[in-house]
Order: sequence, then structure tokens, then C-alpha cells
Amino acid sequence: MSDLVREAATRCRALVGSGGSRPLGVLDRLAIERFASAVGAGADRRPTSATGRVSAHPLHVPAVVGWTGGPPTEGLRDDGSAAAVVDELPLTGLRLMGAGQDLEFHRTIEEGTAVTVETTVESVELKNSSTGEMLLLTFRHLFSDDQGQPLVTCRESLIAR
Amino acid sequence: MTGDATVRAAPVSVGDAIPPLVVTPGEVQLFRFSAATWNSHRIHYDEGYARSEGYPGVLVQSHLHGSLLSQTVLNWAGPHGRLRRFRWQNRAIAVPGDTLTCTGTVTAVGVEGEALVVEIELEGRKQDGTLCAPGAATVELPSAGRFR
Repeated sequence: MSDLVREAATRCRALVGSGGSRPLGVLDRLAIERFASAVGAGADRRPTSATGRVSAHPLHVPAVVGWTGGPPTEGLRDDGSAAAVVDELPLTGLRLMGAGQDLEFHRTIEEGTAVTVETTVESVELKNSSTGEMLLLTFRHLFSDDQGQPLVTCRESLIAR
Repeated sequence: MTGDATVRAAPVSVGDAIPPLVVTPGEVQLFRFSAATWNSHRIHYDEGYARSEGYPGVLVQSHLHGSLLSQTVLNWAGPHGRLRRFRWQNRAIAVPGDTLTCTGTVTAVGVEGEALVVEIELEGRKQDGTLCAPGAATVELPSAGRFR
């Protein structure tokens, strides 16, 4: 597994600084309410703006793994995942785990917002842990609306081993 | 600000503890969170798969750890509080049935215009004291002049 990790480190490091932009879709009220319910932020805690539109939980947009219908079930990885940002990286054979996020919130996201993300691979570090070598991958996601107004800047860490 | 229950009546000081959020996520909450975020990773619902990876059960999602920590702050700040920044790290796993206690302590308080800006250090720990998720938040509370 260590060789696999080191090979992935070499290939991923070549991608540092690269990235791309893609439209994610429109955040609707149902999605906002479902996320709030799943977190335990009940309806009585969901702020509604002066426009009458429901506001998303601040962590909603950065927490969404898949913004499309995704591939058919048989097209998923063996672990069931289909995260687009990971699919574009040479991490085949490695186990992935979220390691946290650092978020800067620029404005409240309301229902009906069309969300776009610009993702950049910021860093790839090879680290030693108690269970062996692992990769610490850091991405920068800038979520914006369809007018180009920034919504959330997210630095996300993933561990691959 | 009589009649406006959304404005905090108490001042905020460095060292203040914010009310803890205690949650025991179960399989249903994990399922709903995976569905709401369209996260189909088997580690969160397939116990056999999770055990094959060496875990004692399905895992609480990294983003759910973060969301619970953030909710602790949002509950304290009230509906007019605004999260400016928030970060968390995933340090240890949790499985359904673990009780997670999210706590926070105010580390700095400042005034920017009419707003009170509060820095909070956060921790999410399991019932045995294991630190699952440290974090930090910057919260903007409206109208510092309204604090009494």
C-alpha cells in the first residue's frame, strides 16, 4: 500500500495548482429543508429572509458530495462513492476520508441560488501516521452564484491511504 | 430592544462557555445526512463494508461532525447571528450510538461598527472523552450597542 500511496503522491503533486470551474445547480427549498432536518436544525431554527426565501444552513453547500444524479449504481466505485473532485485525481486503490474544512462565508445562500464552484488543488503532502503513509490533499473550492458573487470559500482536506 | 426576542440580552465575555450540543447520531440520522448530501459512500451505511475496513461500525460523516459543531454556535448566536468563518478537523471516528458533546468557549470579542465579532474555540468529544473534531468559529452578532 505504501508504494501505491507514494505513486499517487507523485501523480497528484503534478496537479497542484490545476483545477476548473463548473456549474453545480440550483439549491431548492426541499434540499435546504432536508439538510437542516438531517443536521437537527429544526424548522424553528431556520431563518427566513425578508424576501420570504429560506436560507440554507451555512455548511450545506460545502457538504454536498454530489450535485448531479451521478452515474448509475454499477458505475460507482467499489466503496460506493462518486465524488467528482476525487474522480479527476489519480487515487485509484486508495481509501479516502474527509479530514475537515476551513470555511469563509461571504453571503447567505437562499433557495433558488444557482451555485457554481471553482476548484483548485492546493497541496499534496505525504505524511506518516500510526497506520502507515498517507496523503493529505487540500482543495480550495470557491462557491459563487450565477452573477459571479462569491458565496463561500472552502478549503477542504482529504486523507488518502 | 423590547419585543425583539432575537437579540441577545446578555453581554459576551472572553471565557464564556456556550451551551453544549449533545447528540447521539443513529443510523437513521446518518442515512438522512448521506441522502441530503448525496453521499453514497458505503462506509456510512454498510456495516459489513465498514468492518472490512477495520472500523467497529458505520462512521459518522466528517461533514456531520462539522455541521454539529457549527450548529452549536448557531444555536447560541440565534437567528440574527451570522457565521463569518468556521473550521473543523476530523481527528477521530464516531459510530452510531456514540454520544457527541459539542462545546465552545469564547476566546475573543471585538466590535466592528454596529456588530459584535466573537471568536469561539470548539470541541466535539465522544462519551469517553476522545476528541473527534476540534474547530473554531467567528460569529457576527448584530448591533453591539443593543447589548446590555
